[in-house]
Amino acid sequence: MMGICKANMLQWGETWAEGVIEMQQEPVVRLEGVTKKVSSKTLVEDVTLDIPPGQVFGFLGPNGAGKTTTIRMMVGLTKITKGDIKICGYSIKDHFEQAIVHVGAIVENPEMYKFLTGYENLRHFARMMSGITEERIREVVQLVGLSNRIQDPVRTYSLGMRQRLGVAQAILHRPKLLILDEPTNGLDPQGIRELRDYLRRLCREEGTTVFVSSHLLSEMELMCDAVAIIQNGRLIDVRSLAGVEGAQETTVDTAFALDRPEQAQELLGGGTVRDGLLIVRLDRNGIADTNARLVQSGFKVYGIQKVTRSLEDQFLEMTGSDQIG
Amino acid sequence: MLSILTIVNLLMPILFHLADGGGNISLWESALQTGAFTFFLCTIFSVVVASDSVAGEFSWGTIKLLLIRPWSRSKILLSKYIAVVLFSLLCTVLLIIVSYGVSAIFFSGGMGGTMMGERIGPRYYLLIILCDYVDLFMTVALAFMLSAVFRASGLAIGLSLFIMFAKGIFNMLFNPERYSWAKFLPFMHMDLSQYLASSVGPGGVTLGFSILILAVYYVLFLAIAWTVFGKRDVAA
Repeated sequence: MMGICKANMLQWGETWAEGVIEMQQEPVVRLEGVTKKVSSKTLVEDVTLDIPPGQVFGFLGPNGAGKTTTIRMMVGLTKITKGDIKICGYSIKDHFEQAIVHVGAIVENPEMYKFLTGYENLRHFARMMSGITEERIREVVQLVGLSNRIQDPVRTYSLGMRQRLGVAQAILHRPKLLILDEPTNGLDPQGIRELRDYLRRLCREEGTTVFVSSHLLSEMELMCDAVAIIQNGRLIDVRSLAGVEGAQETTVDTAFALDRPEQAQELLGGGTVRDGLLIVRLDRNGIADTNARLVQSGFKVYGIQKVTRSLEDQFLEMTGSDQIG
Repeated sequence: MLSILTIVNLLMPILFHLADGGGNISLWESALQTGAFTFFLCTIFSVVVASDSVAGEFSWGTIKLLLIRPWSRSKILLSKYIAVVLFSLLCTVLLIIVSYGVSAIFFSGGMGGTMMGERIGPRYYLLIILCDYVDLFMTVALAFMLSAVFRASGLAIGLSLFIMFAKGIFNMLFNPERYSWAKFLPFMHMDLSQYLASSVGPGGVTLGFSILILAVYYVLFLAIAWTVFGKRDVAA
């Protein structure tokens, strides 16, 4: 079982970037037609998703899309109505204890015992897992940067500090899968950056697979190797983020800032004018050629810019402006 | 809580001593009265701890962190329940030690006085405490069940204490002499000390019958707690 969960980043990076989803090894998490119904309301519907090892995998969706419900099912807090979730090959339904041992998680807010110190909280949770030494606790505290305050009661902690303590309890037992629900909530920019770097390092050095949910698109763009997008309980897209950036050789929308955009449009016989910019779909050489033509025809070209669709644009495009279901 | 229990326990024999002009109160009488009185406090505190044990984890949100450890839900609930029972035992032992100890300082004379036809001595004292503990044990089991089922400690505390105090009224309303089914209610049987005076309980039942009824309700309370806790979805 150990070997299957071991990360092989390189392999995945390649297959993923090409957009070919090939199963080269067993995924860490496998959601098979997961459905959650509460009375007549369907919160999550038929979600099938494989999360490959050694990635930071984003789980993106507007509020109320079913992110937290899915995460609750993944850690066994909520029963699965239909389908199954397998973690490292063990079903969370039938072999809960064998499956959950590979998981560290924060579900929603990082709630701790407020009357205990940070250290006592960690020791309490460490007792519930086997093989966590005092040294490991100290090491984790160091990692999340709480060394100075770990002996203070948790009620004196800020949200950001509790978030760090939450991460600390989640990684104590070196889980193969780390599940974080909206981990950047309440963190300052410095903290977000540290968390991001830290997650990447975990992923790289320990081969941990990180599953992060968020509605903060820009954050996900920086943090994740791939994202799954969920809306109204349905999985609507799974994509590699490396793929988005790597689309340089194909044609992209290019914006020319110049003095007479309408006339330039006539000259080129194509493109659109938007916000005083001429937008033409071109490849690399096309951009250079077009620029030369425009300059030779007496236009003043002030700037050339690729119109990249950020994840946010794509996300909004896909999810539309639907009401929370 | 434990210190309040100790202080009250400490004060009672002193009050008895002050109230006792003619030296009529014996050591064991003082210990018995002190114990019987402060046992209320012991029950209340145990009920509060039991009610808060599961519900508190839900209201703090820490239940999520407990349930994602590699332990089954029934084991986690069992450990919670064991902790509650240990607390109630600790309270009781503390009560016994302090009520006897302080009484021993202020009173002498050992055994003395009779109650319900039995001389008040260590045997009678311990039997009363045992009966009180059975009562506490049942109330705590009920509180624990309510805590696990409703996940609201206020409700669990309120309901258990209500039942604890309203037991007498229930027993009057549903008198087993009038309604024959009333002898199957748990409240009739929670106070076993009535069997110290007579071998026949309310509605003409025996001690064995009372214990059987209590055991059935005990198993029922815990079965409900375990089933609901094991099945329920944990949502915020």
